[in-house]
Amino acid sequence: MELMYGYFNGEEVSWDKYIQYAVSDMVNAGLDIVSDGQTRDPFVQIFTRKLAGCRIRARTEIVDKVEYNAPITLKDQKYARNLIPDDKGLTGVLTGPYTLSKSCINLYYNDEKDLAFDFAHALKQEAKVLQKHVDMISIDEPFFSNETPDYGKELIETITKDIYCPTRLHACGNVSDIIPELLEMPVDILSHEFKASPQIFDVFKEYTFPQKICLGSVRSDNTRVESVEEIMEHTKKGMEIFGEKIVQLAPDCGQRLLPRNVAFQKLKNLVKVGERING
Amino acid sequence: MFSFTKEQKILEISNTKIGGQPGLYPTVLFGGIFFKGEPDFETAEKYLNNMLNLSKRTGNPAIPDFFIRKEEYIEKITNFIERVLPKSQPFSIDVTDPQVKLRILECLHEKNLLSRTIYNSIHVGITDEEREALTKYTPEMAIIVAFNPKDKSPDGKIEVLENGAHLTDIGLLDISKNLGIKKILIDTAALAPGDNTGAAIAAIPVIKEEYGLPTGCAIHNVVEKSKWLYDFEYARKTVDASSNVNISLFGGDFAIFGPIGSADIVFPTVAWQDILISEYIENYFGISPDESHPRRKLF
Repeated sequence: MELMYGYFNGEEVSWDKYIQYAVSDMVNAGLDIVSDGQTRDPFVQIFTRKLAGCRIRARTEIVDKVEYNAPITLKDQKYARNLIPDDKGLTGVLTGPYTLSKSCINLYYNDEKDLAFDFAHALKQEAKVLQKHVDMISIDEPFFSNETPDYGKELIETITKDIYCPTRLHACGNVSDIIPELLEMPVDILSHEFKASPQIFDVFKEYTFPQKICLGSVRSDNTRVESVEEIMEHTKKGMEIFGEKIVQLAPDCGQRLLPRNVAFQKLKNLVKVGERING
Repeated sequence: MFSFTKEQKILEISNTKIGGQPGLYPTVLFGGIFFKGEPDFETAEKYLNNMLNLSKRTGNPAIPDFFIRKEEYIEKITNFIERVLPKSQPFSIDVTDPQVKLRILECLHEKNLLSRTIYNSIHVGITDEEREALTKYTPEMAIIVAFNPKDKSPDGKIEVLENGAHLTDIGLLDISKNLGIKKILIDTAALAPGDNTGAAIAAIPVIKEEYGLPTGCAIHNVVEKSKWLYDFEYARKTVDASSNVNISLFGGDFAIFGPIGSADIVFPTVAWQDILISEYIENYFGISPDESHPRRKLF
């Protein structure tokens, strides 16, 4: 009913309250780096709603050339920045171009690759704007775990090239089969679901690579709250394989589908492990 | 002035028809009663009779839209409906308070008035309790307000009808159908000035072409919320009434025109527009106006 208040009273509907809920939970749990919580929309629509060429229906339909109009997530990021203490970092999250292209119904492009690259060019514009306001830009590419196109690296590079703040690529699911491709990605940090898919540890240890690691350490698809001891054991396993490369502990993926109290408790336990490790 | 390729549904409530191709049926006009303060039944009766008389003279069906702000008004207003409205006259109830919504439905059921009731409205703020009450006491017809706080464009309005823009579990159309409401009108959610107001008008043909459902809006909302227009007091009433002609011009089927006191100017204004549209539509598309159409009153 609150959402209708603006309609009945002629006032703009504000999402600030929802961003505040998400950010305050992350801050109160003790995280060092938080995001705006992506409360405004599902992760595809957040971007397609504001890009030219996209029409929102049950799914997003591509009806014209995809182009960047104006900043998409900047307002929410600035608001989130105001909510967090100075010693906390802020992550700007972009839904990756390949995931966007695969999530939409293409009614315009003859070649899906052209669509993915137009998304990438649009996201590059967003990244350029965001880098002045966030401490890291994270690119979500869940579709990479289904299939990574041969132009995957080029897509990510389109976004990250000349971006001066650290970048992270998050590909969830079991990425065992695409680790060589992931290691080619021009980003500073690789982020994966090590908790739900522990088999990827074994594949990663076969390689040397320049990127740092964000270690997924609590499941996002399961309401069971992992104990501190369990997370510690998982983290130690990660440290045996990656050593100093591990720069972040995080949930496996977004916690949108978890009850709020469960998500909060998972974050709290995650933070306790981080504190123990860092002394 | 145009015709839709999609088949247009014609819905009927208590002998009032609404919908169809432009030029076929007259624009249905909803006049609001009891917006502010204590309900003044004596004045309301005068306004109501005046509106029904205007409806007879012009041919445009009138729907009194009863604004029920407090639970304590429910009994008095429904008694008024029973006493004053002709037995074949449909009406709408416009309620924002969730608790009042539940009670009014039960009361309308008890008084056997649901078959003449247009429920105004179903929107993304619908609660579980409201769904339960609507399932139990289902009105004959309901208006869905296609307000999407995320996107006020015609596309955003379609989104909220289709999938609830992820603010409700399913789209508002499916919610209404699941509740057992068979007759649905779409209100394109006119907002305040400067808030993509033209989209409420532009969305009318988009939604009619997509769903074929009777569509309209309360374009009066824009005028009411305009501070600028208060500097032109004489023109404001004219602007308010004439705004409604945009609805019929864009193929719409109904206008929620604001306070019933505006009926004197709204009915002839909209009837005149309906006549202009009908003349062209019949010549070009061969759609003859219904016997009730204002154009039939002109000759």
